[in-house]
Amino acid sequence: MTRWMRHVRILGICWRAAVASEVEYRLNFVSNVVLSMFWMLWAVAGASVYFRYTGAVSGWTNAEVLVVIGLFFTLNGLRQMLLQPNLERMTDYVRLGTLDFLLIKPFDAQLLVSLRHLNVNTLLDPVLGLALTITGVVLAGRGTSVTALASFAWMLACAVLLMYALTVSMMALAVRLVAAEELGRVTFAFLELSRFPVDLYRNPAQTILTVVPIAFLTTYPAAALLGRLNPYMLLLAPAAALSAVILATLAWRRSLRSYTGASA
Amino acid sequence: MRDLLAAYPPLVRSATQLAVTYRGRTILGVITGFFPLLTMAVWLTVVAEAGPPAGWTTGDFLSYYAAATLLWNLSGDQVVWQWDADMRSGDLSVRLLRPVHPFHQYATSNLGHRLVSLTMLVPVLVIAALLVPGLDYPTNPVRLAATALALALAYAVGLTMASTFALIGFWSTQTTNAWMLWWGLGSFTSGWVAPLALMPDWVRTAAAILPFRTTMGFPVELLMGRLDVRQTLFGFAVGLGWLAVFALLYRIIWRRGIRRYQAVAG
Repeated sequence: MTRWMRHVRILGICWRAAVASEVEYRLNFVSNVVLSMFWMLWAVAGASVYFRYTGAVSGWTNAEVLVVIGLFFTLNGLRQMLLQPNLERMTDYVRLGTLDFLLIKPFDAQLLVSLRHLNVNTLLDPVLGLALTITGVVLAGRGTSVTALASFAWMLACAVLLMYALTVSMMALAVRLVAAEELGRVTFAFLELSRFPVDLYRNPAQTILTVVPIAFLTTYPAAALLGRLNPYMLLLAPAAALSAVILATLAWRRSLRSYTGASA
Repeated sequence: MRDLLAAYPPLVRSATQLAVTYRGRTILGVITGFFPLLTMAVWLTVVAEAGPPAGWTTGDFLSYYAAATLLWNLSGDQVVWQWDADMRSGDLSVRLLRPVHPFHQYATSNLGHRLVSLTMLVPVLVIAALLVPGLDYPTNPVRLAATALALALAYAVGLTMASTFALIGFWSTQTTNAWMLWWGLGSFTSGWVAPLALMPDWVRTAAAILPFRTTMGFPVELLMGRLDVRQTLFGFAVGLGWLAVFALLYRIIWRRGIRRYQAVAG
């Protein structure tokens, strides 16, 4: 337990340093918030075009789709805040040999490399995303329950773990490919598939996206919040998330074994 | 002018070589640009469940979005990020020392990369058009020639519009965000969010005179044979008009901006 506390404390110190260095650039923060809100309105207006021609697509009304779009922005906000700033540094870590120094620090290398940096500019993005999700739930007008909220929190936590696992596997690839920028784009592309509920696509795309597990990112958490999740998923989601994290950790360790260091 | 034209082929060629050398990157760029296909997939579900919206069948959507993917890979807006990075790092100073105006340096670099993406994408589209039932273009030589012209115009307008925006960098550090706002608003009238035929009337009216349709919707509609001669000529006139406007704006802003440029490094 003390080991865990130590990890949390050290990450806290890293993040405080990140905040301190970025509050210098307040205009960036404001400009980023404006842009995030704009992209959300953009997505909302864009999705409304479908509903000019139909009341519901595959059983999802416009308001219910907003729940999913909000979750997409929540996850993307978390990705940009916590994961992307670390992934994008991987190229330099490998190219310049910085990774050597990180590996010899008395701290879990994977945690340090994957969570050390924090992008303060996108701090509000997850909050804005959740606000859109709540708006969607209210507009859907069927209320919510404690069970629905609890299973939503549970499913969302699994979704965040999945995102983390995806990013760590990209980092493992980055050790070999030294192309973090492109891998960052791949991560976003994965997430982008979750912009709409997977039910909105027809087969075979729908089945593929359920297996890949894009559906666990936004569709199932949204279904949980709307109180129509298959309860079976409450067990399947953590299983999927944990196995993804384990696989990603294994991939990371494996690629470290092939890493030879550029300098020291 | 003649020097400039002479400089284009080798500069474009070196950019294509760069794109081919880093082909993994280029391929990823093409593959990750699948957003139009997501929108298309939802439309196909709408067609299957509620019937063709505004008369658009599955085949229409397939043809529209296949061509739209092509146009997306032909967009020149990456130059905004390049200008921004070079102004911040001071690398623009180096570019200013070269005998060719920076606009053309960025343009040739972009054009080279676009050509490689297109070389990868066009065969895929042709095969798809042959194999996928419903994905079909009513082609004839005149229409193909007009579409080729419209594609060139789309690229030229997109590039000059983006380059003009990039010059904001002489005054502000928020160029890329400003560009994304502009692009995002424009995407409703370009045919990116949805085919313009499916948008509300007022959006369509705005789209007819704004610059964005030239960069995507116009060439696609032309290729699909949805425009008569009058509409085609009008589309070209609007596009050429905006090309002139942005070229002029670029010159004016460049002259004012370059006086403010203070290189940090290079």
